[in-house]
Amino acid sequence: MGLRWFHFALWGGLIVGMLLLPQVVSNGTLRTMIFANYLAIFAISWDVLSGRTGYVSFGHPFLIGIGAYTTAILTKRFDVPVEISIPVAVLFTMIAGLLVLLPALRIRGSYFALVTLAFMELLYQLVQVIRPDLTGGTRGMSGIQTLTRGAANGYYLSTTLMLTIAVSMWLLMKTRLGTALSAIGMNEESVRGSGLSTTRLKAFAFLTSAMIAGLGGAFYVHYLGSLAPRALFDINFLFTIIVAALLGGTSTIIGPMIGAFFMTFLLEYLRPVLPGAERYFVYGAIALLLYMYQPKGLVELVRRGFKSLNKGRTA
Amino acid sequence: MSYLEIENLSAFYGKAQALTDISITVQPGEIVAVVGPNGAGKSTLLDSIMGLVKIDGDIRLRGHSLVGRTPSEIVRHGVGYAPERFNLFPYMSVRDNLMVGAFTARDDIQSNLSMVHSLFPRLEEREGQETSTQSGGERQMVSFGRALMTSPELLLVDEPTIGLAPKICHEIAEVLRKLNKEYGLTVVITEQNANFALSLASRIYVLESGRMQTSGTADELRNDKRLLEAYFGGH
Repeated sequence: MGLRWFHFALWGGLIVGMLLLPQVVSNGTLRTMIFANYLAIFAISWDVLSGRTGYVSFGHPFLIGIGAYTTAILTKRFDVPVEISIPVAVLFTMIAGLLVLLPALRIRGSYFALVTLAFMELLYQLVQVIRPDLTGGTRGMSGIQTLTRGAANGYYLSTTLMLTIAVSMWLLMKTRLGTALSAIGMNEESVRGSGLSTTRLKAFAFLTSAMIAGLGGAFYVHYLGSLAPRALFDINFLFTIIVAALLGGTSTIIGPMIGAFFMTFLLEYLRPVLPGAERYFVYGAIALLLYMYQPKGLVELVRRGFKSLNKGRTA
Repeated sequence: MSYLEIENLSAFYGKAQALTDISITVQPGEIVAVVGPNGAGKSTLLDSIMGLVKIDGDIRLRGHSLVGRTPSEIVRHGVGYAPERFNLFPYMSVRDNLMVGAFTARDDIQSNLSMVHSLFPRLEEREGQETSTQSGGERQMVSFGRALMTSPELLLVDEPTIGLAPKICHEIAEVLRKLNKEYGLTVVITEQNANFALSLASRIYVLESGRMQTSGTADELRNDKRLLEAYFGGH
């Protein structure tokens, strides 16, 4: 599997560091970190599917939305406890993931991306017109039960969730299964020619991706306490997820995490300087530069840093 | 009963017909070559055997029809496919490339891996290297290696020498002979290089524009005009 002691040392260091963070930083920074954590979850979810298999999903807000709406409706309208509503939400999202899988069995490339975009748009329209008494219609929902109070607790919960997902996905992707998923992205026919069922592998990738998106969406809505369809099914939200994964480095776990934190903090620090949508130009420019000079993403820069450290030690 | 029998095979990509009425037989332990120019349908023929394209006609392995089976089932029946070396997974290490081949024969991973390493010691030395950074010859070894990880009895090899130096072609011929003689594999290769095919295979089929032009033993075909035509790209 290629597991080395320093892998665990790095994860361990990251976990300890992240859990100690509330001792040293302000609540404002923690709130930003919470967003970064959820963005990291969504970026990991996107990457498991799109970064690896090459089936680029433009519909991740669709999956996240299913998770978020399911648990919001169950808890708010039917008084279902979160212990039940969140698993149900994840299950629903996985079923939705299978729906997205169906076109992927027939089409590839930009057509697949467009179909998934249509899924997102469809759900956006549906939640506004079908049973607005349940979904809250155009306005969305507020007063949804929150799981935590205070920045520190919200941070602990989101960090635990994000790290649990990250470490388990990392372990899973270290197996040959992860190798096979990445292989699909490079040459699907060759994977079939090696005797693997790409249909099954793709189904696995879609289900896993949907599961993470559903988990993230459900916990996110119980952090926010409200749900606005316009913000959720927003093309900017979609691109933030995709750019986080691409910027950090696809086909890795740590890459989307780095990308999510980088983007969240970049946007946050730019806020006083560029309060409006101009901020998106800056991250567009950064994404472009990085893509020109380091297409493997930020994670490759980090990797090189470690390599040169190692070389310095042995020399 | 022959080992592999292909009867009246036609293959289609959508509505386009790539192969018309091809019949081929392969005896156990043989090396058979399918020779023809670009676009003759050589790769399509191998894809048909693997169940990767839509076909009419019959393909039987040890008397069992392969028609309608999934590529996965066909690999489990003992058919290994070494595609053109351009069809590797470029941004994965040599080891990961090999491991993609190791899903159907999980119990044999260690023995298959040591066979691959003894055939190609370079792949063991460079197992962490990305195949995109390897030479053509090395990539061809990875392609062979990945096919061998599926524990095949029948090895299908798609244009192993394309664009490679004569010395490397010679090494590839040696490897294929070794797989045939020492490991008992039946081998079907496709080739543009007729001389390579003549020196390696016992029997040769000449394919052009999706149709079978001629076939015979290497000795019979050595001076056959139709083979020369195919070799030079036809008319």
